[in-house]
Amino acid sequence: MAQPTLATQDPGRWIHDLPISLGEYREMLLANLIMIGEIPAPAFDEKARIEFVKQRFTECGLQKVSSGSAGNGLAVLPGRSEGRSILITAHTDTPFPDTVAHTLTVSSDRVTGPGVADNSLGLAALTTLPTIIEGLGLEFTHDLVFMADTRSLGKGNLEGLRSFLTRADIPILAGLSIEGVQLGRLDYISLATLGGEIECIAKTWNGIDGQDTIAALNQIITRLRNIPMPGEPLTRLILGSISGGTSYKTPANSATLRFQLRGESDAVVDGIAEEILTICEEMASNLDIDVDFDVIARTRAGGLSPGHPLVQNALSVQQSLGIGTIAPAHSSAASVFLEEGLPSLTVGVSLGENRGGVREYVEIEPTLKGLAQVIGILRAIDGGCCGED
Amino acid sequence: MAKIDEWLNTNTFHYGQFWDIKGLIDTKERRNLKLSLCIPTLNEETTIAKEVVLFKSELVDRYPLLDEIAIIDSGSTDRTLEVAKSFGADVYLSADILPHQGSRRGKGENLWKAIYQLSGDIIVYVDADIKNIHPRFVYGLVAPLIYRPEIHYVKAFYDRPLADETGIRPSGGGRVTEILVRPLFSLFFPELAALIQPLSGEYAVRRQVLERIPFPIGYGVETSHLIDVYSEWGLDAFGQTDLDRRVHRHQSTRDLGKMSFGILHAFLERLRSRGLTGEMPHLTPILRQFQFNEGNYEQVVFELPEEERPPMIDIPEYRDRFGIQDN
Repeated sequence: MAQPTLATQDPGRWIHDLPISLGEYREMLLANLIMIGEIPAPAFDEKARIEFVKQRFTECGLQKVSSGSAGNGLAVLPGRSEGRSILITAHTDTPFPDTVAHTLTVSSDRVTGPGVADNSLGLAALTTLPTIIEGLGLEFTHDLVFMADTRSLGKGNLEGLRSFLTRADIPILAGLSIEGVQLGRLDYISLATLGGEIECIAKTWNGIDGQDTIAALNQIITRLRNIPMPGEPLTRLILGSISGGTSYKTPANSATLRFQLRGESDAVVDGIAEEILTICEEMASNLDIDVDFDVIARTRAGGLSPGHPLVQNALSVQQSLGIGTIAPAHSSAASVFLEEGLPSLTVGVSLGENRGGVREYVEIEPTLKGLAQVIGILRAIDGGCCGED
Repeated sequence: MAKIDEWLNTNTFHYGQFWDIKGLIDTKERRNLKLSLCIPTLNEETTIAKEVVLFKSELVDRYPLLDEIAIIDSGSTDRTLEVAKSFGADVYLSADILPHQGSRRGKGENLWKAIYQLSGDIIVYVDADIKNIHPRFVYGLVAPLIYRPEIHYVKAFYDRPLADETGIRPSGGGRVTEILVRPLFSLFFPELAALIQPLSGEYAVRRQVLERIPFPIGYGVETSHLIDVYSEWGLDAFGQTDLDRRVHRHQSTRDLGKMSFGILHAFLERLRSRGLTGEMPHLTPILRQFQFNEGNYEQVVFELPEEERPPMIDIPEYRDRFGIQDN
């Protein structure tokens, strides 16, 4: 009598034992992580990384390997029947320019390097999944659409994902976004966020007597910090970065602030954005300089309820694997799915630290549970927890 | 020289020519070839895992191009062997191989003993300290040997930017090549000057060549290989492959001095053995460098033994292991 395959065993036992079966794919995941992570991929310059992922999709025997207008890397694993598809995504871009050395180091317990957690590991998991699915003999009712989405970070404003969802002629059942870290996150809520850039520009240039745009920006920052941020609904203003000037001995000809407004209410964020615009206009008039205020990224509030079957099934998968669920966090990707009326989750593959720095690292050992979790959630979606066609 | 131009046209490759690894494997199997990868190590725990993971996953599991991956270690005191083994490499202590032949310390010793320990018809050597390791470092080197039976020895060349904490800088590498080796080759073996990076630590070689050449145990091993293979089989036995970029650590001028000393040692011995020099004094193994210390100049003396291992085919244990009959 034939031994039951993993795919035919009791679901609870099956998911519990899955990480052991995934052990033979550990090196493949790490190899993909190394090769992906060493290709620089700042937002809007991700073509080389996308080409590698598409090549991997082709090698895995996936169908319809292609790029959309936003340059995403797409491929399809056909399901048993016609109908809606499950979209699995991982964003391709990292915050690091290609002038940073993208060399990863591997030790016995971790992989270290710029962008390895955000999001080279997520993309490596996406790239390795088709081989794992084939190797485990898993079959899905629905088509699985694998997408390495582009232009996610900063000014990219999730353009790759948004472009696909608004233009795709494939009916989507649900989305699952994969991030490198942290294992245990289960993001099903989107916050209202507004990424903004304020640039002060001198109207004239008069050497050491010129207009001091850094001082002007400082006054604007002071005004921004005086805007009352409501505690209910919770709203925050994050001052992310400032830059300006070229020398220590002449007034800066321009100065730029980047910030993010985030909160639980679209209306509140919109209202504060209006206030910021007014402050910029007043300061431009008072100081006789040019002040530009640009919205560079925007997401809307919303998401699934904690009781949604997708959330409950995902929680069950995490519990079966012994993954401690991190308190509900927020995912900007969920906002894009929400705009299209689609349920989605974002999960992390492993644990790591120093995100955003060149010493960013991910741990190796938890990745097998991370991959098992992704497969378990895909099976739950395929099994009908998001409704049927 | 017309010969060099012809050779550059026919025997200089780019790894991108060999992107079809499945095709490469088909030809390898049709020709009944076995391939071994040797990574010589000494305290490489920070880089060895990455090389083993990448080569095993890509060139053993995904594409079965390599038949074995072996670490030949000089006696690391860090966790090099433990880490390499945990990711699936075969690990060997150089001193444990051919114990009756004794043990010497040096990269060349590891490369020589690999010929006995590994079973491949082609052995590809890759250094353990490459920061941007990639499968091309193997398939780009073995492909000319698989496709072109008349080629016996394939050298790597590449851009060699330097890496530090702040990023990648333009190359300062290749100084010993341009200041020492290429001028020497131009004077004495002009055709060998066509090898773009004669000192690169990555090369693939057929067993029947490796077993017939001696191995200096120190810095002279690459240079002596080129002269010996050239003398026996000619320039057409060589190929070279552009591997695009190799990110490496910066070496101090003092270290380059030691390297140059070892190379010069091996080179002059080969001139002498070919009758290309007149009377030469005994070549001392002593290198003298100088430093300024607390107001005084002082000598720093290094003893750099340039002992050579004989051709492996002359070793009885090797002849037994590979069934080679005495003439």
